[in-house]
Amino acid sequence: MAEEPPALELRGITKRFPGVLANDHVDFDLRRREVHALLGENGAGKSTLMNILYGLYHPDEGEIRMRGKRVALSSPKDAIEHGIGMVHQHFMLIPVMTVAENIVLASEPTTGGVFLDYDAAKKRVADMARTFKFAIDPDARVENISVGQQQRVEILKALYRNAEILILDEPTAVLTPQEAHELFEILNNLRTEGLSIIFISHKLNEVLEIADRITVLRRGKKIETLPREGATEKELARLMVGREVLLRVDKAPAHPAQPLLSVEDLHVLDDRGLEAVRGVSFEVRAGEIVAVAGVDGNGQTELIDALAGLRHPLSGRIALGGEDVTGENARHVLDHGLGHIPEDRQRRGLVLEFTLAENLALHDFRKEPNSRFGWLFPNRLVRWARRLLEQFDVRGGGPQTRAAALSGGNQQKVVLAREIAREPSVLLAAQPTRGLDVGAIEFVHRRLVEARDSGKGVLLVSLELEEVLSLADRILVIYEGRIVEEYPPDVTEEELGIAMTGGHREEVPAA
Amino acid sequence: MTDAPQPSPKPAEALPSVAARLAFYQRASGIVTPLLTAVLAFFIGGLVVLATTHKNPLNTYKEIFNGTGLNWLFPWIHGTERASAALNLQQTLIYATTLALTGLAVAFAFRCGLFNIGGQGQYIVGSLVAVQMGIWFASMSPVPHVLLAIVAASLAGAVWGGIAGFLRASVGAHEVITTIMLNWIAVWAGLYLIQGPLQDPRAALVQVSVTKEVSPHSKLPVWWGNSALQGLHIGFFVALAALVVYWLVVSRTTLGYEVRAVGFNAEAARYGGISVARNYFLAMAISGLFAGLAGAIDILGWQFRIDQTGITVASQIAFLGIAVALLGRNTPIGVFLAAMLFAALTTGTSTRNLDPSVFRPELAGNLTRIIQGLVVLFVGADLLILYIWRLRRKLKLDRSKVLPQEVPQA
Amino acid sequence: MIARADTLYDLGRSRVATPRAAAALGIFLGLFAFWLALPPVAARSVVVPGVVAGAAVAIGLWVVSRGDLRPGWGAVAAGVVGILGGAFATRATTSHLDVVITWSALVAATLRYATPLTFAAIGGMFSERSGVVNIGLEGMMLMGAFFGAWGADVTNSWVGGLLIGMAFGAGLAFVHAVFSIHLRADQIVSGTAVNFLALGITGYFFNDIYGNNGTPDDLAGIPDVRLAFLGHIPPHGLGSFLDDSFGQLNLMVWLSLALIPLSYVVMFKTPVGLRIRSVGEHPRAADTVGISVYGIRYACVTLSGALAAMGGAFLSIGFVHSFAENMTAGRGFIALAALIFGRWRPFGAFGAALLFGFASAVAPRLELVSGWANYGTLFQILPYALTLIAVAGVIGRSIPPAAVGRPYAKQ
Repeated sequence: MAEEPPALELRGITKRFPGVLANDHVDFDLRRREVHALLGENGAGKSTLMNILYGLYHPDEGEIRMRGKRVALSSPKDAIEHGIGMVHQHFMLIPVMTVAENIVLASEPTTGGVFLDYDAAKKRVADMARTFKFAIDPDARVENISVGQQQRVEILKALYRNAEILILDEPTAVLTPQEAHELFEILNNLRTEGLSIIFISHKLNEVLEIADRITVLRRGKKIETLPREGATEKELARLMVGREVLLRVDKAPAHPAQPLLSVEDLHVLDDRGLEAVRGVSFEVRAGEIVAVAGVDGNGQTELIDALAGLRHPLSGRIALGGEDVTGENARHVLDHGLGHIPEDRQRRGLVLEFTLAENLALHDFRKEPNSRFGWLFPNRLVRWARRLLEQFDVRGGGPQTRAAALSGGNQQKVVLAREIAREPSVLLAAQPTRGLDVGAIEFVHRRLVEARDSGKGVLLVSLELEEVLSLADRILVIYEGRIVEEYPPDVTEEELGIAMTGGHREEVPAA
Repeated sequence: MTDAPQPSPKPAEALPSVAARLAFYQRASGIVTPLLTAVLAFFIGGLVVLATTHKNPLNTYKEIFNGTGLNWLFPWIHGTERASAALNLQQTLIYATTLALTGLAVAFAFRCGLFNIGGQGQYIVGSLVAVQMGIWFASMSPVPHVLLAIVAASLAGAVWGGIAGFLRASVGAHEVITTIMLNWIAVWAGLYLIQGPLQDPRAALVQVSVTKEVSPHSKLPVWWGNSALQGLHIGFFVALAALVVYWLVVSRTTLGYEVRAVGFNAEAARYGGISVARNYFLAMAISGLFAGLAGAIDILGWQFRIDQTGITVASQIAFLGIAVALLGRNTPIGVFLAAMLFAALTTGTSTRNLDPSVFRPELAGNLTRIIQGLVVLFVGADLLILYIWRLRRKLKLDRSKVLPQEVPQA
Repeated sequence: MIARADTLYDLGRSRVATPRAAAALGIFLGLFAFWLALPPVAARSVVVPGVVAGAAVAIGLWVVSRGDLRPGWGAVAAGVVGILGGAFATRATTSHLDVVITWSALVAATLRYATPLTFAAIGGMFSERSGVVNIGLEGMMLMGAFFGAWGADVTNSWVGGLLIGMAFGAGLAFVHAVFSIHLRADQIVSGTAVNFLALGITGYFFNDIYGNNGTPDDLAGIPDVRLAFLGHIPPHGLGSFLDDSFGQLNLMVWLSLALIPLSYVVMFKTPVGLRIRSVGEHPRAADTVGISVYGIRYACVTLSGALAAMGGAFLSIGFVHSFAENMTAGRGFIALAALIFGRWRPFGAFGAALLFGFASAVAPRLELVSGWANYGTLFQILPYALTLIAVAGVIGRSIPPAAVGRPYAKQ
């Protein structure tokens, strides 16, 4: 590596938000032709730091230098002009527009300075794709292409604007292992071409695979920067969390008994009227955790909606505890033994403006003793809530506190408390640990295993392969609306990844 | 190479509903913000007065205040001044009754996250039904007759509101547009009826559009003042009762729980098993019920018949109801106080009270409208008011935990 | 012939082709069936419209079975209208029909009634496409109506009036913009407040300045455009029809017609339009490529005010040549409905505006039918009822720009 001034230097960056110190005097540097990983758990400050670099936030203290010279990046426009491109975790693409339109937005080629020259845009996109060896259709609407392809569009967006530094924020969160490998190949190509890449992640194995150097952040502070050689997962985890971390959940072997949930040949339509679930059948027995693994968008959402009574299946049968509940609404299903931990706790799990007591009563407010003939008894809700909050160690408020005042982890505890305390026979958990820190994740995992050990059936739908491999007693892979494989928990991530993209064990999928 | 489509939706950029935002700011600042909002609106109104009439706005406001009758509350007022203040206060309270009810109508819908601009149509429908009920059944004894008229009118308002609620619940048609269309339909239908089938035959001879008068038994008794001079009728107590009922329903019933849940977060309510569609319908129907009740009370309390002005003034009443609900932050006490404020403002600027040399009454009516508009505008922009009060700095610590879209994912 | 995506997973692989043309044909046939029963053809037997409308319904059902629901059901609805309308019309007496249906007059009246709607709807399109709901179109239109009249009075020219009206409309829109964008108020509340304000301000100054007498009778009016050559087009019948329909229309009518393709080009064929749409669909994405979200929204909302005011100015100094309090009478909201009906596209919004304009044009003519004079007031309901049905039935699921209505929070 040459001894030039680093392509990028961040010194003493500090950023405060109300109630939280997101970045605490962070130092970070980036060399040319390197892939530098930024590692930390949720809430460590990685995204904030990069948003500052991209001009979306303004730092309270600190400075940024590029090639030795101090720069002020007060907007994304500035950042782009300085050659910084960012691929966000949640894509900044406009679904109804085409690939070409998305890429040239704000730097559009024109005819006569007035009209949009769409053909020129198309051509430029096609040229770039060829140079960097992507396969992309410039005319395709973004909402119709795969997630991996969308990510490539995002990368092309940055390259179109002559980025020399590329920031990737949790890029593999939505990819299968194979797609992740493809991405790494692309990153290697880009590195050879002279780019510097910052790779934000909380996935230890990937970071070890792709990065040249790794910087670990914890609670807003930079802990250490180390080279890839010699780093281990264990050590990185320790740096990330500050203590020894259990990477796999401790659990006793399962003793599954009678089936509590059985699904037969289920067909479900999505919002557009197209079939998203195409003949799914499986069982969840008492005392086992069944995980459904798959790339997002293969029917998981519609499957969960159908099981939870939020969507009418087209055909097929769902039985809960032996009773047929096909097509029944959410209230019925929840009353007949289903617990549902929804995917998005703030949008779907909790009414943030309600107190914790009111939230905990969301399913039971109609029943005695909480109400009678429509008349509500709020103090009984409060009493019930007090017990639950203690049981589930919810911190940050009492029964009369509004749910919005709690942290994400505690909010999820409230959702869990509500669902588990009702003693459902089947617990449906959708992305239960998304956005949580390690402590909260441990808590949720423990509770799910507890539920399973007390004789409930747990159906876990998750995009985090580590979580799936750690918790599940059986793993079902869903692909394009069908269950394509079933695996025991000792399957390798690779095999799982292949099944998730529709391949089979013997084949290697085409690139 | 997969062709698997759609990435997952990004997690909550949950937009707080109107109900949620109003609830937050009410909690955060209690009475300060509404008070400040009103003060600011009056201040700007005063600037308008100054600019256009070059007169001292404080004088104008003082005259207006005297016209409201609120000076009756001051013990040092005596004699004829007191008597005329009493009359004025009765007028104010009569109007406050109406505004409290229409305010409740809008407030209840807001609690469910719905914006009911259809108060005008619901009020008109309620009035029409009340008039007819009052005219028919003349032989009934007073109490059942009045009850019948009130119940029928309220139901009519509920139906009119329920149409919009049903459309929202079933096909998702936005209630702002549907209620406004229903308003105009009610207006024209009402005008047609009082010009045609419902027209008083004697009035028809002189080409005046007005209905017959309701039978004496159905008129609401007056408890303060002289019934010949339009004293305050017991409808005032109906309004007070309605405020209590509103509070009870919202905070002590399962229906209120569901309505609030849907209003704050319809998605989470749905996931919890609550029927969002049913609540949209019920909320609009109950909302319309309050507005229809307002129409009935006005008819049986002091109007006793409907003429053309009766139809056209409904728009004023309905929009004031919106201002009342917003200023009152959808709470019963707030609605009452705000209703008092706007009622006082209207009586104070009415033709018979305002001395034209101080301020021309026709202008005053429009001035009131400007002030109302400003109130609604400022209420909508809670940020502005808080900024002015510098509560912003103090509240910033709380806000980050309450409004999810403000909190960045680090 | 036509591929259909059966499952969600085919979408990436196939292109979903839709038989739009067939649906359009179906809608046309349905309306044509109705027309057959009216003058000048005035078919007397129900069979004639019945057959044609039946064909429309059949086509519509076929389109529905092919998966394109909305146009398909639209064709079916048109067919039903054709049958019912045709049946009704064949049973009415020819003289009645002739009184109501004078096509040339109807065309002219429709265009006149549609013009303010068109201006406001296209203004609304810019605002909504950039992500800001504009319920205040009504108020902005009213500002344009009053200040257009006042401006014409003060400057003694219709140009002055028009420009002043537009300025006040834009000013009110700017207030709405500040509250909705910068102060992140609820956009519907802000829009409603703006309507109140407009009502109060226009009423206040109208009473203050013009008092009891109203606006002067010699108010400078926007001129009509006389197209005499139309009358000379052979054959004579066609010529006189064209002349009566289009020969004497106000300048603003023609401006509104020109506005439609112009706004289409701007919105869909220029970089500016692309950026506006990006701000309305995904403001954060637009922000991250350096587009000024606030700037674009301010510009679009202010523009919408100016355009709506043009519609209002047409009402006061182009149509009735005076001002009356609250003369817009809900037209701003109908324009909003037209916009939604037209899927936030100029030509679609114009089509809807024509539809509502037609209802407004027919209503007073129905009153002329002997025996129906008393129902005159009732006929005024027609445009509003039609809007209600449209909002409820056909457009309930129209998909707006994704980010419309949500305040954008810059950190």
